[in-house]
Formats: sequence, structure tokens, C-alpha cells
Amino acid sequence: MTDLPARSRGVIALLEENCTVCMLCARECPDWCIYIDSHKEDVIVPGASRPRQRNVLDRFAIDYSLCMYCGICVEVCPFDALFWSPEFEYAEQDIRDLVHEKDALRGWMPSVPPPPAHDPLGEPAKEETSAARKAARGAPTTPAR
Amino acid sequence: MTPEEVGARLVAVLGGAAEAEVSGGGRWARAVVDVSTDQWPAALRAARDDPELGCDFFDWLSAVDELPGGFAVVAHLWSTRYRHGVLLRTRTGREAPAVPSAVGVFPGAAWSERETHEMFGIDFPGHPDLAPLLLPPGFEGRPLRKEFVLASRVAKPWPGAKEPGESEPGTGRRAVRPPGVPAPGEWGASGDRAGRAG
Repeated sequence: MTDLPARSRGVIALLEENCTVCMLCARECPDWCIYIDSHKEDVIVPGASRPRQRNVLDRFAIDYSLCMYCGICVEVCPFDALFWSPEFEYAEQDIRDLVHEKDALRGWMPSVPPPPAHDPLGEPAKEETSAARKAARGAPTTPAR
Repeated sequence: MTPEEVGARLVAVLGGAAEAEVSGGGRWARAVVDVSTDQWPAALRAARDDPELGCDFFDWLSAVDELPGGFAVVAHLWSTRYRHGVLLRTRTGREAPAVPSAVGVFPGAAWSERETHEMFGIDFPGHPDLAPLLLPPGFEGRPLRKEFVLASRVAKPWPGAKEPGESEPGTGRRAVRPPGVPAPGEWGASGDRAGRAG
């Protein structure tokens, strides 16, 4: 079999750790095929007066019987939690099995190819330009949090 | 011929009773010639029979719902000899839309007109049989009109209605609407159309 192009749209993989449950993908999806459930959880930060709240993902499912592979969810995700994987062999006997829950979506992660190398003729990455600007100003860079 | 020349030539052949412009599309731009509804078959015939235009291949015919502006019926013709195309366009009103049939000029337009009839409800006087082509028997409504409500957008709750950190929609301070789907009261010419079609 010939190799698939690097940017093949086979299936969408979910890196759950990066998901902040911002709901952007579910809201942008033109097919309404992304289902997200979540709850809020208190996080007690030592030294803080009040506990902080954070969103915890309970369910993330993509219905591949509806998905039209537009990739808007992958584009819109601000935290790189969704990726294209070139895997395409996931036909099912029952249409209901085409709803991939978060475990199934996580299972596609190992097949996600590394991102393509930066185009040498393209604009430099935002991180590079801002770091260079800071260095040129002589200002101390923001300490890592 | 460039799209500008194609448009100017067709306007000249029609005796100036038409307006030409050029579509977008860069290398694939087309002359767009607007004609009146009465002139429609004559304009198609002129584009086909004029020796300089020679648009002998009927590519497609369809319509655009322009809301208060009625419907634009568009046909694409192509010259197999000179390898240039032209888009012909005519405008018909929203009430009882009708455009004379092009079947007498291009018999192959029959299926395109049947499809445009069932999808937009545009009548094509002179067409032998405007039977539905794609829709199942008994289907109600004109699916490509903008007032047509998609059944799936009525029957199914929007997954994006939930706020981050909740599993049931509706506790947010302001209700978020799905993009591109108007509020139920705004759908169609009257609200009672919602849920009927489909």
C-alpha cells in the first residue's frame, strides 16, 4: 500500500489531558456530532483564600455517522486536544458503534503523525518572534509558571 | 475569448437588452450575463448558435434563493470548440416564480429543471413533465428555499448548548445559539412552518 499523505483526514484523535471543556468544538461543529459532558470540581490551592474551580471532562464523543470530516473542531481547538489521524479503517456493522467515546478517541492518538516541519519560507512562529523581541529589549523573560 | 469579451459579445448579440459582469474565481472566472425572464430561452439559444460564442454544451441549471429579491435562475454553458464558458442568469419573483423552460434549446435541461422545480418550487412553463426527480413521493416543502427548516435541526438538541462544566443545557447566564441557525420564531416567513417540513 502506498503511504498516505501526511495531512490525511482519517479519524479525529483526542488528547484528553489537553481538553479544558471550553465547548468550542461542539459549538462550531456544523454537523452537531460532538457530545461533551463535564462537571465542575473544586481545587484547593494552598495559600489561596478560596478554592478554585476547574472543569472536568466526563464524556467526549464524536459520532462518525454524522461527521463530515471538515476538521473545524481540530482547527478551532485552542489547546491542541484534537488531532487528525490517517487511520480510516473503522467501519462497523451497527451504525451506533460509530459513536466513538473518549477512550476510543484516545486510542487513535498513537497513530497521529508528528506535526510537519516549519516551512523555511513561512513566517517565523509567534513564540520565536516574541522571544526574540524580548531578548532584543533586554527585558527579563517571563518566568515559567 | 476572455470572460469580458464573452459577456460583451452575448450582450451585443442580444441587442443590448442584457447586462454582463464577470464572476470571481481568478483563472476560472466566467462572464455572467443577466437577462429578463422573457428573454431566457432566446438568450440560451443565442449563446449556443452565435458562431463566435459557440456555447454548445449545457453544463447545469439551478437557482439561488435571494430572499426578498426572489430567485435567480442560473445556467452554465460551455463552448467545446473555444473552451470558454458563460453563466446566464435571470430573476423571477418570490410569488409564483416561473421561468420559460430551456428544454426547447437544450433537451438535457429537462432534468435540471425538474430538480430546480422540486427544490425551489420554480415553475418552468413549456417543460413536458415537472415530476419530482430526487425527493421521495409525498415529500412536502421546497428543501433548497431558505425558509425551509431542516428537520434534524428541530428534532435534535444542540450539543453546544451546554456551558463548560455542565452536563445539562440552560444554566448559563445567556443562551448560546447554534451558529447559522436562526431562533425558532424567525424561521421561515411564518413561525408555524417550523416542524412541518421534512
